[in-house]
Amino acid sequence: MNMTAQKNRILLAALRNMPIILFVGLFLCFGVLAPDFFRYQSIENAVKQASYVGIVAVGMAFVLLTGGIDLSVGSNMYLSTVVAGLCIQRFALSPAAAFVICIGAGFTFAMTNAFIVTRLRVVPFIATLATLVAGRGLGRMLSQSRAISFPETITRIGSARLFDVVPYPIVLFALTLLAAWIMLHRTQWGRQIYAVGYNLESARKAGINTVRIRAIAYVVCGVFASFGGFISVAQLGNVNAGFGRGSEFDAIAAAVLGGISLFGGIGSIFPGVLLGAVMIQLVSTGLVSAKVDLYLHSMISALIIFAAVAIDSHRTILLKKMQQRHIRIE
Amino acid sequence: MRKLRPILLLALLILTVIFNCQCSRQPAGQGQTVICFAFQDLETEYWVAAHKAITETLRTKGIKVLERNGHQDANRQLEQVRDAIAQGVDGIIIIPQDGESALTIIGEANCAGTPIAVFNRPPANNSRPAVVVVADNEKIAEETVRYMVRTASELNRRMKPLILVGDLGDQNAIARKQGFYNAINERPELFEKPIEVPTKWDPATTLANLEAAMQVNPGVDFIFTSSDFLYPQIKAVLEPLGKWKPIGDSNHIILGGLDGDSTAYRLMEQGLVDATGVQDLFFEAHAVMDALLEAIENGQKTPDQWIDDPGFALTQANMEQKRNDMWGYRVLADLPKAGK
Repeated sequence: MNMTAQKNRILLAALRNMPIILFVGLFLCFGVLAPDFFRYQSIENAVKQASYVGIVAVGMAFVLLTGGIDLSVGSNMYLSTVVAGLCIQRFALSPAAAFVICIGAGFTFAMTNAFIVTRLRVVPFIATLATLVAGRGLGRMLSQSRAISFPETITRIGSARLFDVVPYPIVLFALTLLAAWIMLHRTQWGRQIYAVGYNLESARKAGINTVRIRAIAYVVCGVFASFGGFISVAQLGNVNAGFGRGSEFDAIAAAVLGGISLFGGIGSIFPGVLLGAVMIQLVSTGLVSAKVDLYLHSMISALIIFAAVAIDSHRTILLKKMQQRHIRIE
Repeated sequence: MRKLRPILLLALLILTVIFNCQCSRQPAGQGQTVICFAFQDLETEYWVAAHKAITETLRTKGIKVLERNGHQDANRQLEQVRDAIAQGVDGIIIIPQDGESALTIIGEANCAGTPIAVFNRPPANNSRPAVVVVADNEKIAEETVRYMVRTASELNRRMKPLILVGDLGDQNAIARKQGFYNAINERPELFEKPIEVPTKWDPATTLANLEAAMQVNPGVDFIFTSSDFLYPQIKAVLEPLGKWKPIGDSNHIILGGLDGDSTAYRLMEQGLVDATGVQDLFFEAHAVMDALLEAIENGQKTPDQWIDDPGFALTQANMEQKRNDMWGYRVLADLPKAGK
């Protein structure tokens, strides 16, 4: 009897920490295929490159937790950085002013989403699909589809290190995670997000202003998307017409891999979203490091992400079963 | 009145649709030659310069240009071409998204009897008649890498080469990769197995993958990029590693690319890049326009002509003599953009 209980405890612990186990498994797997992958530098690179997707995924987690979805984050990244880039070109702005403008543009974009979803009551999938198309169209119109280069004062942020040790993109990603974790787990408002996502009707009956909470989630998501876009531009040096395309899927995949439920109300930012974002990057860079045939990259990436999500959803079912109280009638 | 309102609105809507249809059926230029130029996003300097060369030249010839941006969506481009055909344009120039969609669009124009020309991105095969102007990417890449190989052989050591591969759905990217291997395989004793880094023509993917590849293979000392527009990302990776150094420095990586843009010229001038393959953009632009206009003038509905741009390799050895033929240098220096 004790043995069974102990086995169950181990299984339960393993299931609860499945994202970490998957991450370590993947890391070991690529490390065996390419021994140099075990270096500290490899992990640092993976986290650095994942930082912008990670920041966008953190914002996405807020929306997913309310039971919604935001497909427009890639367009938001593009539009807000285009606006900032054009302002820099025209008014020779400082990096700080450019950053404020970028976030401001992201905020405006996000407010539009929030208005359409909460006030016009359009289904989030359709509403954000529309703003995805409209946002990219507006960005292209402003930039005339041309690449916009950013000055060295901004690109320096992408390659600089805090105290010559940690790259700034990682520091900013860490700060974002911390801020999001505090918002979700240490504030009343954060708990209300979980409540709205878990059961919208019950939350409303409990006196929560569900419209306001959902609107805030979309605004946070949009602001984080523009922040992620700025970090990415700081690393790349320019914004072209394809910038941010597909980032919405990376962000959703990272959040889901990290354990955030697509149905809302379940999941946590740390370490879930962090691991999810880094895992996606790890797969991409791991395949390059292991010198896998280029034609196989897309298929293997899709397979790994699918397997990880499948394992994760199976884990949720198992966890529910194991945590059920068994009442025995004798 | 309240009951009539929806009927009036519906009638207004129908009238608007009919009016618009009538307008779109009218010949777009009313006697003037009209050409539809359907392109994709102008993501790189090459496409911006090509767009400018084609539209400005056509307009100076008194031709009306209907510009259509497909925004990298093959279906949208097909619809735009169908719409242009419905408007009765005299000819079409397209920069297709890929080889397969080019074939479909050519088929559409052939059926309508509208002459069509394809610029720079070739159709998947030549089963349907069209004017096609395309750079010989394989040959240009081969010539460029061959110069890099000669430079490498002077160092008397075995090299570790790396290639930044373009989008695998783009015929040009495949041809450039083939050209790289043709040159590398001529000197197997000089090179280790090349490292292939996928870019998908995306700067973010390039940055992440190149950084990972350089991490695992720190000994890489020979890099060929399938497009010059990726140099900012190469610099971002090599500079922190202390490998973004000019020719002559012991940490210099033998570097080459293809396109011939102004960034490549500037970097060659600074001695950071050894060679770059140049597509003759202005020759291509003029060739495509001349062939199409000739077909329109002769009343040819399905002209069939394949024009190759031989291009050339601009190297540190021939830079002084050949730079005037490089479109990137011309853009930079704002020289006259005459075709050959």
